[in-house]
Amino acid sequence: MAEPAYTVASDSENTGEEKSSSSPSLPEIAVGIDIGTSQCSIAVWNGSQVHILRNTRNQKLIKSFVTFKDEVPAGGVSNQLAHEQEMLTGAAVFNMKRLIGRVDTDPVVHASKSLPFLVQTLDIGVRPFIAALVNNAWRSTTPEEVLAIFLVELRLMAEAQLKRAVRNVVLTVPVSFSRFQLTRIERACAMAGLHVLRLMPEPTAVALLYAQQQQMTSHDNMGSGSERVAVIFNMGAGYCDVAVTATAGGVSQIKALAGSAVGGEDILQNTMRHIAPRPDKEGSGSLRVATQDAIHRLSKQDSVQIEVDFGDGDAVSKVLDRSEFEEVNKNVFEECERLVVQCLRDAKVDVDDLDDVIMVGGCSYIPKVRAIVSNVCKKEEIYKEVNPLEAAVRGAALEGAVTSGIHDPFGSLDLLTIQATALAVGVRANGNKFVPVIPRNTMVPARRDLFFTTVHDDQKEALIVVYEGEGEGVGENHLLGYFKIVGIPAAAKGVPEINVCMDIDASNALRVFAAVLMPGSKSPVVPVVEVRMPTVDDGHGWCAQALSAKFGSALDLVTLQRK
Amino acid sequence: MSGILVNCAGNSLRFSPGTSLPQPKSTRSHNGTARFPTGANSFRASAQTLNAEPAVTESVRRRASSLYELLKVNETASLPEIKTAYRSLAKVYHPDASESDGRDFMEIHKAYATLADPTKRAIYDSTLGARRRRVQVGAMGRAGRAYSTTRRWETDQCW
Repeated sequence: MAEPAYTVASDSENTGEEKSSSSPSLPEIAVGIDIGTSQCSIAVWNGSQVHILRNTRNQKLIKSFVTFKDEVPAGGVSNQLAHEQEMLTGAAVFNMKRLIGRVDTDPVVHASKSLPFLVQTLDIGVRPFIAALVNNAWRSTTPEEVLAIFLVELRLMAEAQLKRAVRNVVLTVPVSFSRFQLTRIERACAMAGLHVLRLMPEPTAVALLYAQQQQMTSHDNMGSGSERVAVIFNMGAGYCDVAVTATAGGVSQIKALAGSAVGGEDILQNTMRHIAPRPDKEGSGSLRVATQDAIHRLSKQDSVQIEVDFGDGDAVSKVLDRSEFEEVNKNVFEECERLVVQCLRDAKVDVDDLDDVIMVGGCSYIPKVRAIVSNVCKKEEIYKEVNPLEAAVRGAALEGAVTSGIHDPFGSLDLLTIQATALAVGVRANGNKFVPVIPRNTMVPARRDLFFTTVHDDQKEALIVVYEGEGEGVGENHLLGYFKIVGIPAAAKGVPEINVCMDIDASNALRVFAAVLMPGSKSPVVPVVEVRMPTVDDGHGWCAQALSAKFGSALDLVTLQRK
Repeated sequence: MSGILVNCAGNSLRFSPGTSLPQPKSTRSHNGTARFPTGANSFRASAQTLNAEPAVTESVRRRASSLYELLKVNETASLPEIKTAYRSLAKVYHPDASESDGRDFMEIHKAYATLADPTKRAIYDSTLGARRRRVQVGAMGRAGRAYSTTRRWETDQCW
């Protein structure tokens, strides 16, 4: 695409810095990063295949945490903990993926309050206060800062090994992340000196790896339309995601996505609550370590012995068997099942037409989770050609190479992902209803529009409030931003036509347009308004309340009913 | 001759639950200035956003008179053939694979969404003959105005 003659970088912070300045003559191959709630990994296309980088301790999977022990915070890439307990003293901040971009009324934030570092909520819809314990004082930080510190370490590690500057990245993100949360990820990357080329929903990264594998194994009948339909189930410590993909000839077409903030952390907390002798012991570090270990062992054996010494005279000695564990976590497993069912339904795919079921992420080792997915999909066999803990980062590295414009003489990079929107985007109208303009699971790039009209006679202005989500009422959805259109000609209510158009481009950027039309006129009566979303910063809850307090229904819209 | 899709992009439409901003006349989009900012990072003066509709410049749509032609398949093409055609076009026109802005690919996808669904395809096929005749009539007079009976969301949301 030719550079437009006059381009001014938008000054909104979420675009990162100097996004358009990266046009070197030799394309820099973007690295792929899988930032997990509990573990991260980084990989890059090395010219013939994907290579996963290892840290100085020779680990491909790097624990995601940052300790604030000394003057300089240190992340899990370079820092070695003397003992696993050290992570639980309050000096380390982890699970940042569960906290980033969430407000303090969010149940996921509340669930994080039992973690050893400080998560303080005021329940007013602002960013929670997060702090690490340093020399018996709480040192405040933010999830973005923690993530940025960690990403800087990852970047330095990659630069040392690749012997070049690392700037462009493709990151994997949970399906259920709102666009606001995505901007927080981009912000953390910008703070770490990284330029985000793509934020890929995790299962779609796996889908790309699967597409490549299918293309490699079926080179003969490539292009004959023999597409393979697969369900991809990804469940890590923080999130559960499902995708249905149709793959042929290296093209992975995402038919549907579903996701939720439910993961191993919830299983861990449920189980800890079950084991703890008293509620005040539920947050104990030793209990956390022992329970985590027990859950891992339960994937291989039917029952485990749990011994916890709290160090203050209290102790727990308990046998936990698999059925008890499954009962305790019933709500989590039901949510997993719901997501798979919903995704299959949205994709309009019959289970009999499924070719493969792919399971990745740490929780995919849990027998109950495997049983649920294989039962819903009516498939005995789970796809074996991917490493559940590496698939996402490998897919991200492939996408990094593809979007960097790298070609492979053997055709291994002749790949394409056709993405779909994970959440609907729309506006507030018809009272406090959420009216989707681009529905969930629409192919990206996408461009849709709807017509609205005024609710009062001679209404001269209208408020366009943009939300993202699946809820029927706006309150259940994420506020992305708002703007006012002015200059609506005086007319009876229901006459002016307010056209709201939304555009999502291939890099998933959302722009919202609003135009005022009058019946019979061929062009907008006032200049069209174009807004890049999201525009809200923190405090979504407040924004929505303030808008409602200030304007009530004075600037409302309803969907236009054509006669 | 200007085809079905061009016609529907070139007219301002009226149907529930609402449709696009008034589309620019195709003459206007010929000059290429009607391009509307698509670079994710660029922001241009608002005057240009008035053209926030399909700049129907050198696109695949211009040359196609039917969804089949758009996908470059025969009208008798089987479903696997249609899927293959869609994928190979995706590799050419998807914004990730080319310098294109995605508009062409959205068209290709819409054509695919219709032709890959047996029911939608049957409906489309039944309207195809009628459309042809009307395009010929329309070419002499006001093309495309009378299409409301055969219009459907997928093919008409041309921008």
